[in-house]
This record gives sequence, structure tokens and C-alpha cells, in this order.
Amino acid sequence: MYAILHPPNFAAQVVAQQRPELRKRAFGLIDGEPPADTVVAANKAARSLGVEVGMTRLQAATIPDVVAVRRVPEDEVSAQSILHTIACMFSPRIEYVEAHPGTYALDIQGMNGLFGDETQLASKLRQRIMTEGFLANVAVAQNYDAALCLALGRVGVSVVPPGDEAVALRNLPLQVLNLTAEQAESFEAWGLRTCGQLAALADTDLISRIGQAGKRLHSLARGAWPHLLFPIEPNFEDSLVERMELDFPVEMLEPLLFLLGRMTDTLLERAKEKARALALLRVVLNLDGGKCHERIVRPALPLEDKPTLLKLLQLDLETHPPGAAILSLELHAQSAVPYRAQHGLFLPQAPEPGRLEVLLARLRKLLGEERVGSVELRDDHRPNAFRVVPFAPPPPKRSEQPPFAVATALRVCRPPQTIGVVFTGSIPAGVFWDGQRYTVREIAGPWRVSGQWWSEANWCREEWDVRLATESMERVCRIAFDPRSRCWYVQGTYD
Amino acid sequence: MSASAAIRLQVETTLAKRVPAALTLKIKQAPELFSTGIEEVDAVLGGGIPRGSITEVTGAGSTGKTSFALSCIAAITQSGAACAWVDVSDALSPESAAAANIVLKRLLWLRMSAERKQRVTDKPWSRLEQALKATDLLLQAGGFAAVVFDMSDVLPQHIMRIPLSTWYRFRLAAEQARTALVFLTQAPCASSCAALSLRCEPASIKAFRSDNETALFEGQLYSLVRERNRNEGSVIARKKPSVRAEWSAETLWSRTR
Repeated sequence: MYAILHPPNFAAQVVAQQRPELRKRAFGLIDGEPPADTVVAANKAARSLGVEVGMTRLQAATIPDVVAVRRVPEDEVSAQSILHTIACMFSPRIEYVEAHPGTYALDIQGMNGLFGDETQLASKLRQRIMTEGFLANVAVAQNYDAALCLALGRVGVSVVPPGDEAVALRNLPLQVLNLTAEQAESFEAWGLRTCGQLAALADTDLISRIGQAGKRLHSLARGAWPHLLFPIEPNFEDSLVERMELDFPVEMLEPLLFLLGRMTDTLLERAKEKARALALLRVVLNLDGGKCHERIVRPALPLEDKPTLLKLLQLDLETHPPGAAILSLELHAQSAVPYRAQHGLFLPQAPEPGRLEVLLARLRKLLGEERVGSVELRDDHRPNAFRVVPFAPPPPKRSEQPPFAVATALRVCRPPQTIGVVFTGSIPAGVFWDGQRYTVREIAGPWRVSGQWWSEANWCREEWDVRLATESMERVCRIAFDPRSRCWYVQGTYD
Repeated sequence: MSASAAIRLQVETTLAKRVPAALTLKIKQAPELFSTGIEEVDAVLGGGIPRGSITEVTGAGSTGKTSFALSCIAAITQSGAACAWVDVSDALSPESAAAANIVLKRLLWLRMSAERKQRVTDKPWSRLEQALKATDLLLQAGGFAAVVFDMSDVLPQHIMRIPLSTWYRFRLAAEQARTALVFLTQAPCASSCAALSLRCEPASIKAFRSDNETALFEGQLYSLVRERNRNEGSVIARKKPSVRAEWSAETLWSRTR
């Protein structure tokens, strides 16, 4: 069974509800950009004085005793939310009828235990709406569209027993069927005025004249057009929140993890019901002293595994602990489609995404944020111009590089080590490094490099490739001279 | 059936639930090998470095350890697998890694943090400790085809203080994770845990080119000595003679375009 709640002339009712002083006066509701603003609604008193929808503001102003009121969309939204709340009180499954503002359809199947039979429920619903300052028609029928037509066409409460829809709709005007202008004109020309007259026609004749729309209108007039209710459901993402107030301030992370584990479990269950996984967890810790500590854990792939998520939370909170005792905590989640991958028997070895995420979190905790990841070279001539990015290996795939000879690797000294240099003329001939004297056997350079000369971060240096030797060993290094600090240092060793 | 065979069968049957085939020799499978990307070295090693084992590369500075390891990692990352580089001294040069044709996105670089105002060779305990823990985590997580444990700048006396049990643990973990664990050190440390032991030595000196006005460092010649290879199939355990491979590496700017 469906109950349709329809407040006729909703926009005018909203004005009357918001401004009670206008209830006993004739008013027209004006909307649009001046000077092209028109009347969009008017109350009964104004209509009796000759105000019509579509009139310009100037036309309406010529009618005496009619007040022109500007439309306020915010008021209509708040009035609609009131009706929505009332509808939710009578049924958990409601649908908003977009074609008619303020109109709601309620699935009242099984609500008898709470509100009595259909007539009692409809009366209670209407009374409840009237206490909020609105007038509404309520119709109850087995068929959704029959109930809607009745609510649009009859004032007050209408209850139709199952099977009597056609009889109940018989005397309603055809306008309740939401006709197009063309259809209304045709029916008027044919002398059809009521739904009963339309229902009495043979559907094949109607279809042959106005097309497939005729079938729908014929069924609607008989109260037999099927409808699938699409109930309004709360946003699923908004429901992925868990909050908890603590009885006493908590400073240790272990008891907190116990609570977080429970909350993660609840969120994960909720996500799994919709066949989704968790892509993000946001922990908000309200601290003693009014501060708020917020951390976001974002696994590389959506996870359905509670231990992994909990471990990531634990490692993140251990790396970034809150500064004071915790009074309450919130756990927000964001869901996503679970990760699915088709593995191959002959694909190269790759870390499992879930385990890799935990591994990286552990390594970050052990070594620091900036010291774990894969390297990305920057478009810069400065030596060591790189940045560390999160490690996310692409799917295993063989990549063929052109064959090159093996490159000589440079082992970089970080930070560069200062050295003493002995010259012969202007060329280094000996180096004092790490308490040892090296003789320069061979030398190549200087290679003068510089950059960023247009900014304060400008740099320049002279680089030399040198073969250094002591009595027992020999090594090839790159040494450099910084003219700004007048300092020599070892940039690295070729190994 | 002889009496000894009957006893053997009886013992094996009794222990079957605890130790399957207790008195039967295990058939050792030939290990999977990763190419090093250097033909001369691959020829000496019989194909490359073994997977699921420890490979120890030792040698002083400027003997080609890092170039060798980068070449191995380049070959492995190009095959599509992921690798990790545990950098105790934070000495890896990303430019060198890119020049070696490593797929950088497949290389996880772990840089140990050095204390402030401390020289690299001074008391590296915390860095070594971090590196050992990180390597442990990498091997336990699995999924990495190769892990390079770069201790090239750590003095041998410091490495020698790491208990031998650590290397045994690494050997087992590498075997289970099917990871090629490569140690870069100045002196041997893993002893019998290393399935393959290589020693890098300086080869004949390749002089800087000086036919132009300015001299140019173009590359180096390296020598690699295979000290031990446990995976070389032979029933009789006897020490094999060392085998030497000569190879060369060139600088990025001397590559012909």
C-alpha cells in the first residue's frame, strides 16, 4: 500500500507558513529577474481576485489588495525538509515525487501495528502536517499512481480499497494524469473530461491515435500502471563514521587500538554489506585542552582486511603520536570497489599489495618518512637532484631497454666530506681526506657547472675526476671546489 | 630386502609424521639464476646470481661492487620484478641508478639516517641496526626478487660484530621468500651462509683519455673473482679453484650516441 502526501500550491503554502501575517491577505509569489519577473504562485484569495500564474509583476500590481511577495528558495527547502522528516516518521521507505514539489510517496506496508489501519494512518499523517502549518491531501491506494492521482485531485484524506482504483479515479479530471499540452488539447477536442471516460476507451484505439503514451495514460486512468518505488536512502559514505567518547582521558595507544579495532571492524562490515572495501581511514582524536589530532591512512589499494588496516593505523599513530591525552575519537572511512587482480603463473614476482602497505608503514616508522620510497629524478642539472616518492611498483611487465655498456656507479658522500687539497700550479696534486694523504695520479677537469643563477638558490662548482692513490690502495673519486665557500670536498667515489 | 634396508624403512615409517623421508637424500634443485647484465661475469657464474640465496660481493673502494650490483638490479627490474636497496651509508646515486637502466619505480630505496655531525665510518651501530631490521622486514614481507644490502662504506671490524646467527636467519628468510640477497661489503662476513662469494679487485688501470686538450675519465676496468659457488653441482665436496672475470664499466658521458 502506498500513501501519497501532497501539499497543493506548495510554494504559496510555504509563504503563508513563514509569514503568518499574509494568511488572511491575497498575495502572489514573484520569481525571476526584474523586469521579466512573473507570478509563479498565488493563494486562493489572490486567484479569486484574478491573479494568475504567469502574469508579470506589473500586471499583478494593477490588481488592488494583492501583495507581491518575492520567492525565497531557502524557505521552500526548509519547508520540504519538515515534510521529509514527517514522512520519515510514518514510514522508513519514502520516495520524493519530483514532478510535484513537496509531494512524498510512503510505502506503508506493515505500518498498521504502529498507526492503525490505512484511514487512521492517513488521518494521523494529515494532522501531523497540519500542526506544522501546512495543508496536505493524503491518498492511500494499492497502486502508486492511483494514490498520486487521488492526492492531486481530491482534497483531504482518500483511502481506496485494493481493486477499487478505477472506480475511485472515475470522476477525477484528466489534469491529474500530468498530460502534455498536446494531449490535453486532443482529449478536450474528443470531449474527454474525466479519467473514467478515458478508461472506458479501448486501449488499442487510443494507442493507434496518440502512440505508446496512450497505453500509459489508459493504465493510469484505470489505476493499473505499475510503479517501482525507489526509496530515498541515506548516503552510504556518510554512514561510514564511528564515534566514541571515552570515560577518562587515555594517553597510551594500546587501549586506543583496542577501540579502533572494534570501530574498524564495524566500518568494514558496513562496507562489505555493499560489496565494497575501505580506501581511506581518517582518525580524529579530540585531545585534552581542546586540540584535535587528525591522521589519514590511505592504503595504495582498497582493503577488506581488518588486521592490515589496523596495523596501518597503529604504525601511523606510533609514528605521529598525539600531543595530549585523548578524550574522544572518531573514525571516518571512505569506501571503494575492492581490488581484484588476475595473477599469472609466469608473471614476475611482485609484493602483495596489502603486505606491501604494512611493510612500507613499518619501514617509515623505522627510518622516517623521507627515507623510504622509490626515487624520481628531477629535471635539473644540479647533482643529486631527485625526490623520493611513495613506492608503488607498476604491475609486473617486462620492459626491454636498449643494451648499453655497464655504467660506472658513483657512490655519493651525503653530506659531502671536506678535504684538504695541495696544488701544483692551479691543478690539485695531493688530497688530505679522512686523516690520510692521497697522491693525485690522474686528473680530469675542471668541469664548471652552475645553475639557478637567476635566483637566490644559485649554485656553482668546479668538479674534478681524480685517481687518488696511497701506497696500498687506489680509488677514483669526484672532488669539487665551491667558489662561494672556498671549500674543497669529495662528492663521491666511483665504484 | 636386506636388514639395513628394512631398518631404514622402519625408521622412516616411524618418523614419517615428524620428518618425511628422514634417511633419504634430498634432491637438490638447480637454483633459478638472475642475469647480472654483464656477459663476462654471467659466463663465469654459469648464468648469474642465485635466487633464494645470499650472494656476497666484497672488495675495497673503486673495485666495481656498486656498478656490479646496479647492473644486476637493472636486469631484474627490467624483467618486471621489484627490488630493494638497503643503503646503510646513504650513498646510492639516483643518476647512476638511472644510467644503469634500472626501472626506478620498481626499486625501493631505503636510506639509513646518519646522526648529525658524525662521519660515515664512525660507529655505524644505529644505522646497521636499522638496516638489519629493514632487511628482516623486507625478507619477511616477501615479493622482492632481489634485495641489496649495501655495507660498502662500513668498516669490516664493525660488520664483524654482527652475530653470525643474523646471516643464518637471512639465509633462511631469503630462501623462503625466493629473494636474491646481495651483500656489498669490504671484507667477507656471511661466511658459509653465502651461496655465492665474489671478490672484486681492481684490474689493470685504464688511464684517463688525454688525446684532446682536456683529460677525460671514461671508465674503469674491473676484475671479479668467484671465491665460492655452493650451487655448482658436484657430489664430492671439495674446494673449487677461484675463477676470474674481467669486465669494464664506462661513464655516462663517454657512451657513444
